Amino acid sequence: MRPLPLLLCAALLASACSRDSAEIGGGSPSAGGVVKATVSKVLPSREAKAQAEAAQAVTPEQIAAAALQSIKGPVLLATLEAAGATTVFGQQGRNGAMRSYATPDNRGLVLRDGMLAATRGFGRDLMSSETEESAALILAREEGTARRVQRYLDGSGTERPVPMTCEIRRGETVTQGPITATQMIELCAPVDAQNSYLVNEAGQIVASRQWIGPKLGYLSLQVLRD
Amino acid sequence: MAGKLRKFSSVGVIALLAGTAPLAIGLRAGAEPLTSFGYGTFGTPGLIDMPTAETRPDGEFGATVAARSGDTRGSFAFQILPRLSGALHFSTSDDLGPGGTTRDDRSFDLHWQVLEEDGWRPAVAIGMRDILGDAHYGSEYLVATKTLSPRLRATAGLGWGRLATKGGSGGGTRPAADANGGLNSDAWFRGPVAPFAGLAWQATDKLTLKAEVSSDAYLDEVGAGFDRKTSVNLGADYRFNKMLSLGAYYLHGSEVGLQFNIALDPRDPPAPSGLEKAPLPVRPRPAPGADAEAWSGAWSADPTARPVIQRTLAEAMAKDGQVLEAMALSTDAVELRVRNETYDARPQAIGHIARMLTRAMPATVETFTITLVERGMPVSSTTLKRSDIEALENGASNELLARAEIGEAGAASVTGAAFSPNDDLYPRLKWAISPYLELSNHVEGQDQRADVGLQFKGRYELAPNLVLSGTLRQKALGNLDESTYVSPSPVPHVRSDFAEYQKEGDLTVQNLTLAWYGRPAENLYARVTAGYLERMYGGVSGEILWKPVDSRLALGAEVNYVKQRDFDQHFGFRDYDTVSGHLSAYYDFGKGITGQLDVGRYLAEDWGATVSVDRRLANGWTVGAFATVTDMDSADFGPGSFDKGLRISIPLSWASGKPTLATFDQTIRPFTGDGGARVEVEGRLYETIRDGHVGALYEDWGRVWR
Repeated sequence: MRPLPLLLCAALLASACSRDSAEIGGGSPSAGGVVKATVSKVLPSREAKAQAEAAQAVTPEQIAAAALQSIKGPVLLATLEAAGATTVFGQQGRNGAMRSYATPDNRGLVLRDGMLAATRGFGRDLMSSETEESAALILAREEGTARRVQRYLDGSGTERPVPMTCEIRRGETVTQGPITATQMIELCAPVDAQNSYLVNEAGQIVASRQWIGPKLGYLSLQVLRD
Repeated sequence: MAGKLRKFSSVGVIALLAGTAPLAIGLRAGAEPLTSFGYGTFGTPGLIDMPTAETRPDGEFGATVAARSGDTRGSFAFQILPRLSGALHFSTSDDLGPGGTTRDDRSFDLHWQVLEEDGWRPAVAIGMRDILGDAHYGSEYLVATKTLSPRLRATAGLGWGRLATKGGSGGGTRPAADANGGLNSDAWFRGPVAPFAGLAWQATDKLTLKAEVSSDAYLDEVGAGFDRKTSVNLGADYRFNKMLSLGAYYLHGSEVGLQFNIALDPRDPPAPSGLEKAPLPVRPRPAPGADAEAWSGAWSADPTARPVIQRTLAEAMAKDGQVLEAMALSTDAVELRVRNETYDARPQAIGHIARMLTRAMPATVETFTITLVERGMPVSSTTLKRSDIEALENGASNELLARAEIGEAGAASVTGAAFSPNDDLYPRLKWAISPYLELSNHVEGQDQRADVGLQFKGRYELAPNLVLSGTLRQKALGNLDESTYVSPSPVPHVRSDFAEYQKEGDLTVQNLTLAWYGRPAENLYARVTAGYLERMYGGVSGEILWKPVDSRLALGAEVNYVKQRDFDQHFGFRDYDTVSGHLSAYYDFGKGITGQLDVGRYLAEDWGATVSVDRRLANGWTVGAFATVTDMDSADFGPGSFDKGLRISIPLSWASGKPTLATFDQTIRPFTGDGGARVEVEGRLYETIRDGHVGALYEDWGRVWR
């Protein structure tokens, strides 16, 4: 215990300060932080809006180019439509058909054969999903009906599955440069979600727009490097 | 090993069933509790003064202040169960006291929705106001509310007591209220009956207009000059958002009042799945054929392997907010003793560690046992198969739960290898400085006062289960020292001198204790705490608890020898000392409901029992109620005749979206008397271990992949 931090702490009346000789974790949130978080729930923050606007000033193309230089391995470009924010995700791990990606600030998403399997760190995450039936049709570029389940934590902290029935339709096949891809559309009831995918001739999803959940809305994904 | 670790499913059935109910997204279920548009002046579902048969969202905690000229009523309302709500009121009324003085009153209401609205059938509720004491608001009602259109609801009901003072008929004479402040059960639903009715119209999503025909004659108020011109009351509510609303009402054609409401809905946190960073993903092992060396187990012959693995793991866990206390490693199994200091949902801590282990352990290690440790006591062992973790990553949490084994944490490791402790952890010093706010207790004839200042909290851990800890406070400014309250209690002032303690703010020692925890035998937990236990008492407290890891029932015993501390809360003592103690039974009824019964001797040497019921959601939000009846004469206790109150615990993670073990706890008592008082000791055993046992682990398991 040095006197200087003690004095500084005493001066910082508004927020708690603490020390731990074992240095476990990042410290617990201070009372001030909690008040701020609660206030921001009540009053939408101008700061957050300004930040979102600033992020918009950089074009997705610039973000993508920078990411491909700085990140090794597979890279995704993702836009959360509701927030209007574009970010890059680098691959963090791979388990069978499942790939885990994370942003530099450690928000995560998981894709299984290109289909959204989970998100992490968005506050109202998709905890997990069962997309095997849909994936079988979409990757084969075939039409049909599939069952799908998406799971969320409800407000009380209990995991809840949302079962859906999805109708899968084939759209146009487009050629852009070296890539020929078929648009697949997945309409899911009863939540009224409309997912769309661009599937290449190898049966891989190269770009997609997928529904995360009721609050987060849609996520647009593009594979920058596989 | 299979003999030692048992598999339990009984408690989990409820959790599993809960997990299969689909989430309603914009879909309305058939019968559901009819949630009120706003609040009545009593803070409970109602129009203005008249009740309705509606409810508030399950678990909601509301605080309201309703004020008109010369009359202010503050209420705390809890929706205890989906259809049961309770409310505590503190009111101040000019001129209504004896001889025209100001009347301070506390009252307690219960409201139960007997029938939900279903098709043509209206919702029906029964309720009682001012159940205890002098019963200025004492009344009972039976009320029905029907939705006429999505925005229009009609209410009609029958009232007894105060709700039958206008237009009442039949029923004979209502027995008088209990002057000593006990239950007024003689008077309930007795005496004349009167009808009342009303309408609520949600004009827009934010604005609700209300009108009612009141059966309350305002007898006391009229006696003090209130002009009751009509039975009709009018009101309007404006909702700013889910939390805040403001109301105005026009009473009996003569007075205007205002009402401010704050409501916290525990099922509507800002970030239900949390904002914390994504966990590390599972790293699957290579196929045995692809990497024969990794699968050979040759590493186990290398004595340097275990220390390197342990150090790497401990560092990764520390970054994750967890402490690796010890590790036991064999060729095919590993057991960790873990102190989770971050995740209020313990399965999240377990899930993080399981994934870290897939990255840290050699390929031959197939069985992971994660033993949660609380204050040095191993509390439960969760065993997961590495191949299950690899196969089920980011799947339904129930699938992993079905393959997990949760059992008693033994003294020796299930791996057969010996535990290697992480030596460099102890002694460990933790401290924090933060501001504090202290409010005066509600006392008749006293203004609300407050102090603010700085608080220092420190912990010096000599060993995982031996902890020296203390809290100091220095007042910066405030007026608690201006209190003129002097306890009139005729019995030893074991609690009622609270104002004398609150007056002192000059570097007070709130507590300073040495605590030891242990596991004397299977299913048994023990604690000894000595020192300045709390601001009013110092002494020694010993406790023992029997709680099998999968049991709904727990039994405990506690004995304390305590001496009352000086008001200045430095190191001196007053003359009063006593031995108090309890036998306790705890029962987990499922769905987060826990009951507790304590029987024994209290601080004023009175004998009796405390009954408590708490309700906890998986997100940690807890509301509860307790009542203590002892052999102390109810007149000696003071207003209210026995000790009772409501308590709430709000996890800070709920508010911030960031995982933390910290909670905001508040106990609200209508009156602090000397009967049924217990010494406060930090770290009582049941609350220390319950989150690591099967019931809570199942309830929180949805966060295992978070």
